[in-house]
Amino acid sequence: MLIGTAKHSYRADEALLTTRPQRIWMGVLAVGLALAPLVLDNYWLYLACFVAINVASATGLNILTGFTGLVSLGQAAFMAVGAYTVAVLEIRIGTPFLLNLVAAGAVAALIGVVVGLPSLRVKGLYLAIATIAASFILHFVFVNWQTVTNGNSGLSVPPATFLGTPLTDYVQLYYVFVPITALMVLGAANLFRTRIGRAFIAIRDRDISAEVLGISLLRYKLMSFAVSSFYAGLAGGMWAYFFRVVTPESFPFVYSIFFLAAIIVGGMGTILGGILGAVFMTLVPELLRFVVDILSPVLPNAGTLLSPVRTIVFGALIIGFLVFEPKGLAEIVQRLRRFFHLWPFKK
Amino acid sequence: MLKLTRRTALALSTALALSAAVPAFAADEIVIGGSIPLTGVFAFAGVGVEAGMQDYIKIVNEAGGIAGRKLRLAYEDTGYKVDASVAAFNKLTSQETINLYYGDSTGFAKTINPEIDRMGSILMAGASFATELNDPKAFPHQFMAGPDYSEMTGILLEYIAKEKPGAKIVLVNSDTEFGRDPIAATKARAKELGLEVVEEIITPPTAVDVSTEVLKLRRARPDYTIFHGYVLAPLPEFMTQAKQLGLETKFMGTFWSMDSSIWDKVGEVADGFMGVMPYRYYYDEAEDAPMLKRIREMRPTYQSTPYMQGFLTAMLFAEAAKRTLEAGKDLTGANLKAALNSIQDFDTGGLIGMPISIPGNSIPVGRIYQYNAAAKKMEPASDWISVQE
Repeated sequence: MLIGTAKHSYRADEALLTTRPQRIWMGVLAVGLALAPLVLDNYWLYLACFVAINVASATGLNILTGFTGLVSLGQAAFMAVGAYTVAVLEIRIGTPFLLNLVAAGAVAALIGVVVGLPSLRVKGLYLAIATIAASFILHFVFVNWQTVTNGNSGLSVPPATFLGTPLTDYVQLYYVFVPITALMVLGAANLFRTRIGRAFIAIRDRDISAEVLGISLLRYKLMSFAVSSFYAGLAGGMWAYFFRVVTPESFPFVYSIFFLAAIIVGGMGTILGGILGAVFMTLVPELLRFVVDILSPVLPNAGTLLSPVRTIVFGALIIGFLVFEPKGLAEIVQRLRRFFHLWPFKK
Repeated sequence: MLKLTRRTALALSTALALSAAVPAFAADEIVIGGSIPLTGVFAFAGVGVEAGMQDYIKIVNEAGGIAGRKLRLAYEDTGYKVDASVAAFNKLTSQETINLYYGDSTGFAKTINPEIDRMGSILMAGASFATELNDPKAFPHQFMAGPDYSEMTGILLEYIAKEKPGAKIVLVNSDTEFGRDPIAATKARAKELGLEVVEEIITPPTAVDVSTEVLKLRRARPDYTIFHGYVLAPLPEFMTQAKQLGLETKFMGTFWSMDSSIWDKVGEVADGFMGVMPYRYYYDEAEDAPMLKRIREMRPTYQSTPYMQGFLTAMLFAEAAKRTLEAGKDLTGANLKAALNSIQDFDTGGLIGMPISIPGNSIPVGRIYQYNAAAKKMEPASDWISVQE
């Protein structure tokens, strides 16, 4: 049973992973992620890449909504900005894909700052509506700025190339996306150990008190929007390289709700929550396909009959988690950790 | 007794979600894969397509299959979402050898075609009639079981030019990729045929209040109004308001708004609605349509136009596979497409009222039908029109 963690140096006190089991498990996870493509088939690799993209974007939204308390329903629109940036740079200039991805994040961050401007005056639902309005404006731009976006037909993106090799199969994309997402998650985790991250949390907990403490609300709220949009833009850029077609319909409004649902289900205000939520929202509908597969031999036409049921079950699972685990999936992980800490003295 | 704690309930539901199975498959089959929308906004089409494909597959299998190999449809629901369609594609192609594939949207077709070209083993068709896909150079392994959207409006314009030379036309399109698809081609073709496009109206795909648009229609006073990019809404609203204003324009639509069952529910206001259909309707008792008779024997109740689309797609898949195997070739994407393109003056059993040829990626043939509200049926208003160049 783990009683406590004695820290003998300032460095140990500042470490991200404080206990040995934490470091071991993180190592196991890293090795597992590195070796996963050896055992996964195309389908699971596709899902792993897609999960990586969604985790990146959900982590960004978690910074804004979970840690800073600013509700946004514009995450998909910021992703679209990133995706279009990548598409335009790749098609017209042909800059290296890593640079394009950073540019996608930067352009989305700029737009994010503009969209975040009302956040000083409006909060909660009002801000959510403002971000919805922004996403509709962006959609209008994507449809009508024909010379850049090619209107409704959208843009076909050439594959990302690394050292002259086009990254077309999912193994290659996996080894690009997963490290990028891991870096982004690590960056987010570190952010909350800095003054900036703590200022975000202070604003979330009580913005007036934060201002009294000397935190510039406008500056930090805009910074939060910028960071969150940067994450979305980069995720959108990866999305563009993944699906290779970007149209105004690629990022529907419901995709923003998807991310909000992901951080709520995963656990708002925890880095792990954003990850678990994105994994849950992406993978569970897919895993439910296998239930349909299992029933196929006994039920003729199972696909047609059970597909609507699959949607209902997915919805019910979300409601179930919200009712039984309002703090999200991250809380289940915390409980598991506590269980093993206290075992065998408390079951 | 087992006490169901919240943790147990969560664990059970998660376990149910995570449980997996590997489906069994036989080597002597030809598998048609499918990303089909069985939920979501396009579910009505997906359900029809799946039924149509299954029925044709049943007919082929009852007749002994193709070169002794049975056909089978392996499909997944996509909810009409591109990411789910791609997931379904990857799942199915990871599980089995698939040489024929049905996709559910333009977005999916555009996304997956580079992968299809890279794989080189699949011939693809689907629910999209996008003009962009009707390009054998850009999409060498793709085809559509009907005319593309520009060809559909082209067929409508041929009819209009014959009925009323120099007619004034208003185009009403939804603000989607699907909706805007044929606008440029329609305007160009109208000019060639001496028809005048007097107004273009773009609305959200599910617009409810269309009063402003109807006023535009009133100002333009067109002879024909062509809708494209909708299934039903907001067409009935347009027609109701136009009738109230005493407008004498003829309303027309394209394939996805031509199913007669959707107009049955609209009632009297739908009377006279016209449009282009690449296939005959379920209830058509033409003498040269034995396949429709067969369909009616298999399914005694009305089958939708998406059913016909699925049925014909399966028929063309089977024909391409048959011709490839008969030539002693492997079922590769290139061989299947070449076999499909060798189809000339092919009899669809009356599904289409004239022999068809597929030199490229589409079958540019259709007929104008008009809805009769009293009979609750779409009735032919023209002969079959081909816009094959």
